[in-house]
Amino acid sequence: MDYRLRLAKRMLFNKKGSLLGAVLAVTIGILVIHVNFVIFQGLFDAIVRDISNYRNGDILVTDEADYIDKSDNALANWFERIPYVQGATPRLSSSAEINMTKNGKLIEETRVPVVGVDPIRDVKASTAHETISEGTYVLNRNSIVLGNNVARDLDGAQVGDSLKLLIVDRYGEDQIRRFTVTGIAKSPGGQGLDYSIVMHIDTLRDMMGRPGESGSFMVKLNDPSKAFEVKQFFLIAFPNDDFIAETIEESAEEQLAGFRSGIAMINLIGYFGMMSSAFAIVTIQMMLVNGKTREIGVMRSIGAKRKDILIIFIFQGMIIGAIGAGVGTAAGLGYTIYAKETKMSFMDSIPLEVSYDWEKIIQTALMSFALAIIASLYPSYRATKLLPVEAMRTV
Amino acid sequence: MTKIYGTGENQVKALDSASFSLEKGEFVLIVGSSGSGKSTLLNMIGLLDRPSSGKVFIDGIDTTKLNDNQISSFRNKKLGFIFQFSNLLTDLTVLENVLLPRQIGGTNESAEKDARELLKSVGLETQINKRANKISGGQAQRAAIARGLINRPSIVLADEPTGNLDSVTSDIIVQLMKSMAKKLNQTFVVVTHDQHHFGNVDKIITIKDGHSSEGKFPSELEVVA
Repeated sequence: MDYRLRLAKRMLFNKKGSLLGAVLAVTIGILVIHVNFVIFQGLFDAIVRDISNYRNGDILVTDEADYIDKSDNALANWFERIPYVQGATPRLSSSAEINMTKNGKLIEETRVPVVGVDPIRDVKASTAHETISEGTYVLNRNSIVLGNNVARDLDGAQVGDSLKLLIVDRYGEDQIRRFTVTGIAKSPGGQGLDYSIVMHIDTLRDMMGRPGESGSFMVKLNDPSKAFEVKQFFLIAFPNDDFIAETIEESAEEQLAGFRSGIAMINLIGYFGMMSSAFAIVTIQMMLVNGKTREIGVMRSIGAKRKDILIIFIFQGMIIGAIGAGVGTAAGLGYTIYAKETKMSFMDSIPLEVSYDWEKIIQTALMSFALAIIASLYPSYRATKLLPVEAMRTV
Repeated sequence: MTKIYGTGENQVKALDSASFSLEKGEFVLIVGSSGSGKSTLLNMIGLLDRPSSGKVFIDGIDTTKLNDNQISSFRNKKLGFIFQFSNLLTDLTVLENVLLPRQIGGTNESAEKDARELLKSVGLETQINKRANKISGGQAQRAAIARGLINRPSIVLADEPTGNLDSVTSDIIVQLMKSMAKKLNQTFVVVTHDQHHFGNVDKIITIKDGHSSEGKFPSELEVVA
């Protein structure tokens, strides 16, 4: 082993407090990045996941000017012939006024979002049906599912309750119908249809005066990475229908743009944390250099060149960086695995969508390692400035 | 050579036209009262500091013309150092300390064998794998002597090598240095204010107020004011 590496290692390992402090600084720097990533990227991905699962699918098809008038079968069959497609389903949206009588008391709610779904196709293309906490999903034309929040606003509406819905149709006429509540939908973090009423799409079409029309078509893929390919294929296949097809990133962009900036900001804070670690390394290594003044003088006096002294302290930076990057990455991965396995969520909110971004993990470790070396440059340079005559000092 | 510290009114002449020569194999003492400039002189000979004027020739080489890297290599190959507090690197073992000058010089051939032999000749063969801070002051100074000799330098420079030791240990160290000097025909230059420990030596250089004189101990000691 090169004597400089051996000396660097011994000097560092014989000052366990300093070594621990420096390694801890690098570890914390990396851990902050990992925790930030798990929480904020996890939250972002969870929101994307839920938008995709409950509302937009991996591809959302709308009509440029109005409603989609192509038949459900034509579109769904076209999509489902593509091997990447898991399911395709029409959706229609509106808003309604509700009133129900409970214990002799009339309860009214206005401007509640209504989502019309095809109960057969929807279970293939969406996981909205999995959010039913009581009762069942939309069964037939007279059944509706209340979002948990809507049910709560209706003074605790329950499965089996009867209520009246008023929707204004395309001609401005009030359309009123009576429904029976068949289910209550409740999703983690309320990202599902908790604030909406879900009913059979054909019933909603009737009430809106839009037979055979859909507001959108959500397409769920087996392999979401093929979304752009499928979207392009679809647009080429229907050139004259004024369709708009958007991938989840495009369709949810408006909701996600602010969040994306927030993540960038949080990452920046993480990198500032890493910079703080670098300053901690500078301080600790300066202390090491100051504590080794005489030894450096001795080495210089017995022939060590400035370059040799520089290399010894840069080796120390590399050791600190390597151990810190290793421990920090291990700790970060430990946290990531824990978050993923426990489907971590905060205060019963949306469960994080935790992923292993190996590129980012390796990048963070390498960056910390490099930063530790860069941080050691100044103390190393200072060490080279010590004179060999220091070895002669008796006090 | 002359060495001046500071500038203007704060100028201090630590060495004033000191001049002398050494022959190979000589055991030389540099003596003088505290603050007389003997350590400054040693620093100049050891190329740890540069004279303000004058030249230091070692083995016929004008060392004042060497650059920083050349001086380091020169120190490594031509000079050996023994310090007052031994100054072993406490992070290394005794053997590793002795090996260090060889490793710095990049000449590792038979280094360990030579180091072990040297340690044996200074009586430390049983201590070679101990950490340098786990041995006594006398043992550390012996190890420092071995370290100073490992590269077979032209001159071994010792700065108050007994200054931190009790009188019994001091005598042992002095005898060890003298025997090694004789055995290896090695030039030793020793700075001390405790010359009675050394008995007969080849030459004594007395420094007083920065001036030097060469003389014989004890009867022919000369002092130049």
